[in-house]
Amino acid sequence: MRPVVAEPSRTLAGSLKSAGGRLLSLPISYIGTILLVVYAGLARPVLLQPFLLMLILRQAAPLGLAVIGQSLCIRVLSLDLSFGGVAMVVSYVLTSGYLKWPEPALIALCLVFGVAVGALNAFFIARLRASSVIVTLAMVLVLSGVVTAFSQYRAPGDSPDFIKYLGQTRIGIVPLAPLVWLGVLIPIAIFLRASVFGRYIDAIGANPRAAWASGLPYVRVVFAAHILSSLFAVLSAFLLVGFVGFGSLSIGADLALNSLAAVILGGVTFGSGKGGMLGPAVAAFMLVFCFNLLTSFGLGEPGKEMTQGAIIALAAIAYASRTLRQ
Amino acid sequence: MSNSRIRRFGRTGLGLIPLGLPVLMFILLAVQSPDFFEPQNIANVISQVAALLIVALGQLLVALIGGIDISVGSVLSLTSALIVSIANPWLAIGSALGASLLVGAANGVGVTIFGVHPLIMTLASMTFVQGFTLLVLPAAGGNVPDPLIMLAKASVGGFPAAFFWCVAVSLIASVLLYKSRFGLRVFAIGASSENAALNGVDVITPRVVCYVLCSVSSAVAGIYLTGRISTGDPTMGQPFSLDSVTAIALGGVQLAGGVGSVIGAVLGTVTLGLIANGMNLLGVSPFLRAALTGVLLLGAISLQRRRTIGV
Repeated sequence: MRPVVAEPSRTLAGSLKSAGGRLLSLPISYIGTILLVVYAGLARPVLLQPFLLMLILRQAAPLGLAVIGQSLCIRVLSLDLSFGGVAMVVSYVLTSGYLKWPEPALIALCLVFGVAVGALNAFFIARLRASSVIVTLAMVLVLSGVVTAFSQYRAPGDSPDFIKYLGQTRIGIVPLAPLVWLGVLIPIAIFLRASVFGRYIDAIGANPRAAWASGLPYVRVVFAAHILSSLFAVLSAFLLVGFVGFGSLSIGADLALNSLAAVILGGVTFGSGKGGMLGPAVAAFMLVFCFNLLTSFGLGEPGKEMTQGAIIALAAIAYASRTLRQ
Repeated sequence: MSNSRIRRFGRTGLGLIPLGLPVLMFILLAVQSPDFFEPQNIANVISQVAALLIVALGQLLVALIGGIDISVGSVLSLTSALIVSIANPWLAIGSALGASLLVGAANGVGVTIFGVHPLIMTLASMTFVQGFTLLVLPAAGGNVPDPLIMLAKASVGGFPAAFFWCVAVSLIASVLLYKSRFGLRVFAIGASSENAALNGVDVITPRVVCYVLCSVSSAVAGIYLTGRISTGDPTMGQPFSLDSVTAIALGGVQLAGGVGSVIGAVLGTVTLGLIANGMNLLGVSPFLRAALTGVLLLGAISLQRRRTIGV
């Protein structure tokens, strides 16, 4: 049927307006990364050398992996802040020598542990309907309390060789870690676009009540999202332990907050059902690049934390007010 | 919370667990540890729970309107950092209260006017304020003015100062919630924001005020705690964010809003305090104590079935 009123996009002003609107609806991370790179090119050109860029990419890889999990959770209107606790346990299991198992068995144990934590989180969130933030924060309390108590008897030590290989190997100038990240990210992104599971996630994110009422496997999807999220946290911890070469109790402590910031910057918002995998991935790079830029200006840990907080607040306010306008 | 539960326990949320748990803890501790009823130990328990009670009462206000504030710990730490960093004690207290007011207002405006989820908003302010605190005071240390130490540590007529702090904040919270229009509005908004708005209740201002009061109460807790430990510590408040939520959840306060009471928050705090004290007396590792708080928190919120799944 022909529209009675001319479509606004047919006129020049209309098409400009719709192009502007489309630009505004892009994830903040795209524009943010471009602005940061341009600024770095003017103020700190050293940061744009290929070698340093590769180092930054390597640093971004663990965060990038965690971000995949976090974005899945946020897309089903949940949240996973237990990354720090999971990373702590993984680092302890791999490096403390408490379990004298062969390397593959330790790695398998960590993966099973990831599935268990994810399933437990999901049980409290989806079955008992407790708030995801409180559940996952409580999980951090439990996991970190137990690990710290254990580490009084046996401190974390050297990392297994395979984990070191994963974190420290380069192919030419390209480190292996970002390749692992891409190797996970691309299949997952394609799977979510093409599969029914991806549609379920979008449907739940857009309107949970409608999804529930139309009989989608709501609880199962939330379970899957949380299990995947904890598994990505385990993978992320592998890379982190591999970089350093030994375990520590503070490993991955800021993964949860940074991944949340990256997902929000990457255009995934609560309750809109919108958001892909690329935006958050670019945001993970953007955050790490931004922290490096801040470090080059001499801003230490406090400045980093303030920036994290400000980014989360401003991005959340920007998206929330955008949704309010709509 | 289902309607039948509301009919049984009213809007106080005081059921079997909030009332029974502290009694059970009392009995267990009395049987397990003969030192428990020593006046010195009782005074210790009161001094240990006072700061948490002040924060929990603030958290109660925010929970009653269906929100949550996890930036309370950072505000407490900031207060401690400011007190030892500014030479004039009154200026230090003034700036700590002023800073908490700003943080609370930012949280309140972000949540109520821009519609950001309270957890995200307060997580952001928590991170920002923690960073700022480390900028003010990078490591623990510094001197606390004598009058502040006296306010936290003195004892009057055999009662520790902490007892009077507890009574004072509980009274203030009770008057605010049960004897003022503000309290009525808070319960109305918490039960159903839409209904309250349709009945002509201003649903914006009281919510912002709740966030501001919560933040200010954590600054007050910071003033007390800094006096008590007599030095500044930029990470002093870290456990308080989740502990305060655990305390009110154990006290029968529904985190979805509308149901809760001052006495519930007091009982929840006492339960947590008794558990900590009991583990101290029994010589359990403090790290396992944190883990147990986590388990308790999981247990307490699992009892609060909500309609929605997720955040």
